[in-house]
Amino acid sequence: MPSLSFSELASLDYRRPEIEKGYANQTLYVNLSELALSVKPVTEEMQRIFVGGRGFDLWLLWQAVDETTRWSDPENALCISSGPMGGTPAYPGSGKSEVATLSPLTGSVMDSNVGGYFGPYLKFSGFDSLEIQGKRATDTVLFIDGIDAKIQLLETAGLPNNAYALTNMLTQHFAAGKPRSISVVTTGPGAKNTRFGCLNFSWYDAKRKCARYKQAGRGGVGTVFADKGLRAIVARWEPVALDSNRPADKQTLKKVARLHSQEVVQLDPKQNEMARVGTTHLVPIMNDFDLLPTHNFRYGQDSRASLIGRDVFKKLFDPGFDGCWMGCTVACSHGVRDFVPLTGPYKGQKVFVDGPEYETIAGCGSNIGVFDPFTIMELNFYCDAYGLDTISVGTSIAFVMECFELGLIDAQHTGGMELRFGNRLAALELVHQMAAGEGFGRIVGQGVRRMKALFAEKFGVDALALQDIGMEAKGLEFSEYMTKESLAQQGGYGLALKGPQHDEAWLIFLDMVHNFMPTFEQKAEALHWFPMFRTWFGLCGLCKLPWNDIVPEDNADTPEPAKVMKHVRWYAQYFTAVTGRKAAPDDLIAMSEAVYNFQRIFNLRMGYGTRAHDKLPYRAMGPVTEDEYTSRQERYDKQLREKHGVDITGKSTAEKLALLRRFREQQYEELTDAVYRRRGWTADGIPTIATVRRLGIDFPEVLAVLAKHGVTA
Amino acid sequence: MIRLDDREIPWRSGMTVADLLESVEKAERYAVVRVNGHYVSRPHFAATRIPDEAEIRLIPMIAGG
Ligand code: SF4
Repeated sequence: MPSLSFSELASLDYRRPEIEKGYANQTLYVNLSELALSVKPVTEEMQRIFVGGRGFDLWLLWQAVDETTRWSDPENALCISSGPMGGTPAYPGSGKSEVATLSPLTGSVMDSNVGGYFGPYLKFSGFDSLEIQGKRATDTVLFIDGIDAKIQLLETAGLPNNAYALTNMLTQHFAAGKPRSISVVTTGPGAKNTRFGCLNFSWYDAKRKCARYKQAGRGGVGTVFADKGLRAIVARWEPVALDSNRPADKQTLKKVARLHSQEVVQLDPKQNEMARVGTTHLVPIMNDFDLLPTHNFRYGQDSRASLIGRDVFKKLFDPGFDGCWMGCTVACSHGVRDFVPLTGPYKGQKVFVDGPEYETIAGCGSNIGVFDPFTIMELNFYCDAYGLDTISVGTSIAFVMECFELGLIDAQHTGGMELRFGNRLAALELVHQMAAGEGFGRIVGQGVRRMKALFAEKFGVDALALQDIGMEAKGLEFSEYMTKESLAQQGGYGLALKGPQHDEAWLIFLDMVHNFMPTFEQKAEALHWFPMFRTWFGLCGLCKLPWNDIVPEDNADTPEPAKVMKHVRWYAQYFTAVTGRKAAPDDLIAMSEAVYNFQRIFNLRMGYGTRAHDKLPYRAMGPVTEDEYTSRQERYDKQLREKHGVDITGKSTAEKLALLRRFREQQYEELTDAVYRRRGWTADGIPTIATVRRLGIDFPEVLAVLAKHGVTA
Repeated sequence: MIRLDDREIPWRSGMTVADLLESVEKAERYAVVRVNGHYVSRPHFAATRIPDEAEIRLIPMIAGG
């Protein structure tokens, strides 16, 4: 390996603006092809309509690309933003960064949110957003030094290959003795060699004396980053205080921050103990309610789930205060110290594993039939270090394992690997292959949608069979919840803008367990309100966990407990206190609605964003195989008899399976109609002119996209 | 005696989580409880015995992902 070197390709000295009511009021533009660095103003209209965070990302991306741009074109922009409240140290969950780009998996707009210190450091350095276009053939690092008000593009050599070593090395290199002032964005070799590369966003853990990271996992944002020739983006900033955002009303901010923060401290120990176990409590609960995906989403339960649940990780996690942003009292970002991998480049060495969280446990555990916490931790560690999304990795491996078990592919296709459920060494081997871009891992790294096409074309597998069990929609792999028995969550996945990721709507428990929304209209209302409110967190640079993972003690007595309105009101006050812009809870929804509809139209502009793209594989809706039916026969028979009025006497399992499928597919279509109506969209899922006018996003270019698709006044 | 959140409740031999919830107002809101630090979900309420001196928390589980 060549020795470590950095040489300057371009630099920009800039005047760092004072932050005003949560905004730097300018963005940083970088063109890697042209070695250009420049500063762009944030307009009043941009603030008013797009708010910040994901809204800013989308607006910048919209201007950077046109309908012909592909993810790997130099014109594709990778945008990273904080948000007006991003960087507030006292209010729980206020340090998220929002990433958006055109996705290698879906071809359309992808957004992903992530913890770590980068977004706030970027903003305090003087930029609400960072927009990167262009490409370079050689390794490049972007250094944003907010302390010295200087931007540098650096050509590098001799950097470590993986994100684990790279993040720690760059933290030390740029720290000037103060590692806490550094946040690094990195990916690893897997990002270049697959379509589902993730980005790691770091912070320095002073107690453990190492850099830690969280992942912007979904949709291949890391693949775009690697394709641009970027090895890392480094932000340098200090200090951070409540005044850093220069809030409009510091007293109210202090008051509301203290209320929420103290409530978390008081109630988390009585509720889910996230400060101790993160999101691992979900594993046994999901399993008990038949919602934990096992064996490629065939079943929702396994007797071995307790081996990978909360009680185990409570023992494995290294105790400590683990917030992924300063002062987050939820402090749920746990990790495992002195873990020793059994395979790969770190075999036999002690490493720190950041995680696992619920999604990784389910994706790289139960869903591939692995019920061994150590394998899950190893997969977690290597996915992060290689820059791979644990959700897409898990769901893609689950798919090939099922294909192998069903005999649709065999050892000749897999390079001799026996890809049976539970084969943990094969799962690890696949991840190493994905990182290297070798063997069958290279194919798995293309994601489920492309594997389906390839297996049908090249291996002669029945395309319809693959369609039913390949758990992707819009090209994105499903995150890890079983939706067969929750129509609302089917909508939550299928009608989500970017694909089946639960950050837009997590209705499964409300629907299935609490039965809060029995009618179509109630489900449609939920599929309006929840995606809008969840979008709002992304506009502001916030984490949604403090909203509803810890709830007030009297929440159940309120008229709408699922919305946790006490917290929504606090958020409205928080927004007003920082930005000075008056906002009541309904205004938060209206802000999100504008951005949400804009993103839907962005999808349309890129050739997607219609009803045809809101379909789900049948595995998400009901039993595909006779085994799945008979394993829950009582449930399905009862539904056919009582809900659908079918006389099932004498009917074979295959007949019942077909009948159930017809009903469920029809239900999904009816739900789709109801949601489109509620959202103010046409029957094809396109926002109407009245909707875009109401939301103030009726710009000429938006109207032109609508007109092109037959939607006119 | 057992502790349910912040109150004390007399313990009976053979008492299950389902029995206990009969004495809780609006018990249908709770799909998950924690008994001595271990999670018990509704499908197991009737079969889970509560030991004497148990510490029980009603978990208002509405979120996750
Ligand atoms: S709640 Fe957890 S994920 Fe969210 S900001 Fe706090 S520590 Fe990070």
